[in-house]
Amino acid sequence: MSVLTVTNLKYRYPAQDKSIFALNDLSFTVGKGEFIGIVGRNTAGKTTLCYALSGLVPHFFKGAYGGDVHIGVMDVLSYEISDIAAKVGLVFENPFSQMTGAKFTVYDEIAFGLENLGIPREEMHERIRASMQLLDIEGLGNKNPFSLSGGQMQRVAIASVIAMKPDILILDEPTSQLDPEGAEEVFRVVGKMAEGGMTIIMVEQKMEKLAAYADRILLMHDGKLIQDGKPAEVFSRDDLELYGVEPPMVVKVSRTLQVRNEETGLYPITQKEMPAELDIAFHVVETSGKNTNTTSEIVVRNLHFGYENGNDVIRGLNVSLQGEPIAIIGQNGAGKTTFVKLLKALLTPQRGEIVIDGVRSTDSTAAKLASRIGLIFQNPNDQIFKNKVIDEVMFGPLNIGQSPEVATENAKAMLELVGLAGKEEENPYDLSLAERKMVAMASILAMDTDIVIFDEPTMGQDYSGKSKVKEIIHSLYEQGKLVICILHDMDFVADTFGRTIIFSEGGMVFDGPTREAFAQEDALRAARVEQPHLTQLARKLGYEGIILKENELQTANMFE
Amino acid sequence: MNNMTLYVKKDSPVHLVDPLTKLLFTFFSITLTYIVSNHLAVLLILLCTFTILVAGKVFKYILPVIGVSFLLILSIIIVQGFFHPDRETLLFEVGPIPIYKEGFSIAFLITLRVVNMVSAFGVLILTTKPDDLVNALLRKGLSPRFGYVLLSVLQIIPQMIALTGKITDAQRARGMETEGGLWLRFKSFIPLLGPVILNSLNETRERSIALEIRGFNAKGPRTYLHKHETYRYGLHLKILLTVIFVAVVVWRFVS
Ligand SMILES: Nc1ncnc2c1ncn2[C@@H]1O[C@H](COP(=O)(O)OP(=O)(O)OP(=O)(O)O)[C@@H](O)[C@H]1O
Ligand SMILES: [Mg+2]
Repeated sequence: MSVLTVTNLKYRYPAQDKSIFALNDLSFTVGKGEFIGIVGRNTAGKTTLCYALSGLVPHFFKGAYGGDVHIGVMDVLSYEISDIAAKVGLVFENPFSQMTGAKFTVYDEIAFGLENLGIPREEMHERIRASMQLLDIEGLGNKNPFSLSGGQMQRVAIASVIAMKPDILILDEPTSQLDPEGAEEVFRVVGKMAEGGMTIIMVEQKMEKLAAYADRILLMHDGKLIQDGKPAEVFSRDDLELYGVEPPMVVKVSRTLQVRNEETGLYPITQKEMPAELDIAFHVVETSGKNTNTTSEIVVRNLHFGYENGNDVIRGLNVSLQGEPIAIIGQNGAGKTTFVKLLKALLTPQRGEIVIDGVRSTDSTAAKLASRIGLIFQNPNDQIFKNKVIDEVMFGPLNIGQSPEVATENAKAMLELVGLAGKEEENPYDLSLAERKMVAMASILAMDTDIVIFDEPTMGQDYSGKSKVKEIIHSLYEQGKLVICILHDMDFVADTFGRTIIFSEGGMVFDGPTREAFAQEDALRAARVEQPHLTQLARKLGYEGIILKENELQTANMFE
Repeated sequence: MNNMTLYVKKDSPVHLVDPLTKLLFTFFSITLTYIVSNHLAVLLILLCTFTILVAGKVFKYILPVIGVSFLLILSIIIVQGFFHPDRETLLFEVGPIPIYKEGFSIAFLITLRVVNMVSAFGVLILTTKPDDLVNALLRKGLSPRFGYVLLSVLQIIPQMIALTGKITDAQRARGMETEGGLWLRFKSFIPLLGPVILNSLNETRERSIALEIRGFNAKGPRTYLHKHETYRYGLHLKILLTVIFVAVVVWRFVS
């Protein structure tokens, strides 16, 4: 029997144009214990679908609603959210929005839903402990939910819903801020729950993972359901990119090699299914060092910082940052965000110094540094405070002395660059998380600073969003700017950055060329990151070195 | 403000008292100062409240709040002292403004009441975890919706502080000077107001979604993570407080 039936579901947000539907005539059913992946580009309607399945649409978000969603025998329209919440758990896209604010420790926050369900106390403790262990946050039980790193908060958000043991678990990009090992862990946990009979519906951008774990994929576009099929079927579509979906690396390679499953005619979608013998050669293409632009320089000496006394988050950092774009990778809570906030003088070092082009950061203020160094915050909600997109983007430029005309022009150009042309007059709060992140990016780029720091720019971005970020980083470097970028997406790091710093527990465990970084197996393990998918694939196919980019693969038929 | 609450973690007998008794105390303490209009009596009540704050080791945390309300108090003294209709006995002059005894006396009474109100709330808020208070009320059958409205009221100040910090960071990161002299800080305060209000409305909306989706409004019986520590003297204290309250009321209307 199906636990979830959606029939002709149609929905339009109150503020939306009459002709546009966020959800446009969706129909599908989901059986008990199935693991459904939802993919599609950024405005495809995935988050809205999550809202509709959990009752927030139409009970909280009003608007035009048609069709029908049944959860078991319960019809969403006529039951209240509190009844639905007992059966359906929802993990939000932005973990910050998931925190209730009603509890003051992580442990109590996880308990909140259980108290409402009336779970007996003993069992409550048991479930909380178990879910904290699954998400690897046992050490955070006594911390305030609001003083966590982005990734830690995301783990708490997932744990707090998992503990409620819903029949249907809906997750909206639950791993967008997790370190690679954490992301894998979440998929493993959720996959196991599906085996145990829980129904999983997950929106994700990590196609590799969906390919490995999902039973079925729904491909969405402009509020419509394009395809509902097995992962291999959906990922074998040749027009995937048109829908803003980047197929798994294995599929990309198989496409070029025309490796197909003989029976089904579909591409292999996981490394396991890839035949070991392939007509393929690898050769390393060295690109780094070719460009030797001089940029600003940041020198960090013996840097120490902690939020609480006697509990250092940054422990004696020494590094010099200049030249080609630099990637910073490392586990959740390692101190990456803290580090860049120190660079930006939003936090004050407790010991040591930061020297930016010969000027100590402590001799200046964050505001004075603003014209030199720009930081795009991890959570766009922390950065955005105006109620019109164009005002938000113009705020910085006006402050650092651009004339209103120049500022307007800059702002418009940057919005165009990040793909938000035409949204100038909208309220940033009505935009999706990925779009808000882009607004935040435009508002820093418009200031035209010599140094640009990105804190997880690819978070929640689809294929085209990621390509845009990549282009922006390249062009900033070409303009002679210093680019520093915190990332959890290793494929992106491999493809875009020549130098990589691996962070672990407030220190650096490696600093050097990206190719060498991904050869440091111990450091990678310590920092809970993994090699890029392409590197792993090349390894699997017997290549000993480190392959980073697609142009480093050579297939026989390329020479024909 | 690391904890996002006004609660001050201390080891004191006042912290041990159950939230409802403290709530009752706050209520009685405030209403009594309005029922009696005798300066000495109000002063006595205030002294009681102060004593409890001292016993709770949180007295120094209330001082800044009283300090802030001092401006308000000063204006009350001047306005009442100057404008009160029964102007008879000149008490003293503040510059060119004469302050009359009758008005001053009333202003003094109001001052005592305001200070007592602030302090009585202090007893409740500084020594009680907000979630404990809400849970105690939920246990008594208060509707969850009302409970969390109350919680968000209790949280207004820390929430505003956190939000202000966040927005200040966003603004100075983009070149608005907020560090420096008093005037500069004051100037930078004004462009903060709009965003703080806007953002807090958005946050409130988000929080309410977060609460809904975790079933806070469920009709079924709820359970509590933390054992209900029945405070040994809770009942005694409540009876004592009620007796005092009734006694004062009777005294007030009989005499
Ligand atoms: N405002 C704060 N108050 C107290 N502790 C904090 C605060 N912000 C961060 N921390 C703690 O400092 C440590 C480092 O946090 P930081 O945000 O720098 O991590 P990160 O490397 O950016 O992680 P992520 O990948 O999850 O974003 C974490 O243990 C976190 O819990
Ligand atoms: Mg971070």
